[in-house]
Amino acid sequence: MIGIVIVSHSPKVAQGTAELAQEMSQERVKIVAAGGVDDETIGTNAERILAALQEAETEDGVLVLLDLGSAVMSTQVAIEMLPEEKRDKVTISEAPLVEGAIVASVEASLGRSLEEVNNAAVEARNMEKLT
Amino acid sequence: MEELEIVVDHPAGLHLRPAAMFVQTAASFDADIRVRNVTRDTAFKNAKSSLDVMSLQVSEGNTIAITAEGEDAGEAMDALRGLVEGGFTKEE
Repeated sequence: MIGIVIVSHSPKVAQGTAELAQEMSQERVKIVAAGGVDDETIGTNAERILAALQEAETEDGVLVLLDLGSAVMSTQVAIEMLPEEKRDKVTISEAPLVEGAIVASVEASLGRSLEEVNNAAVEARNMEKLT
Repeated sequence: MEELEIVVDHPAGLHLRPAAMFVQTAASFDADIRVRNVTRDTAFKNAKSSLDVMSLQVSEGNTIAITAEGEDAGEAMDALRGLVEGGFTKEE
């Protein structure tokens, strides 16, 4: 079963999204938040993301869901800090953060592969809400 | 093939946690399980896909139709019926 890391500029958004996703997975999936520069400061922090990647690490890989901008760069830096053989097991998702995290956590809880979970999470952006 | 129509009484419909539980229950069986929102007259979707189930936009009071085909179809139907009728309280 894959692990999931949630990266946001806001520590509260990351934490809240991780909690929501965890509720969806019924505690079956390892979901770790890595938001903010620290618990109080808006921004992103490669070392915090690295720690989250290590905590969420599984044999089946880790999917990173993030908001935007420097979250991508900081995550790429964090992945570079991993031992080489572990870098291939981390995928940064193009999915929208909250919707993607909800879908990814359910799909991950079913034991689906990193690629399958990521594909479903990316598709979440096309989910209609108002019709 | 097993078929069933049932009303979803949960206040959250089949969104978020109830949807997740529905998909997780369906995925625990080998049978091919499909579900559609009768009230909204949607097409049948894959009951083992969270995206598909959430896209049905099942709200409280909507009727859903479930079909299951395969060796454990009967058990799958019993489990899904129990989940919906039991108000999604089943612990797994």
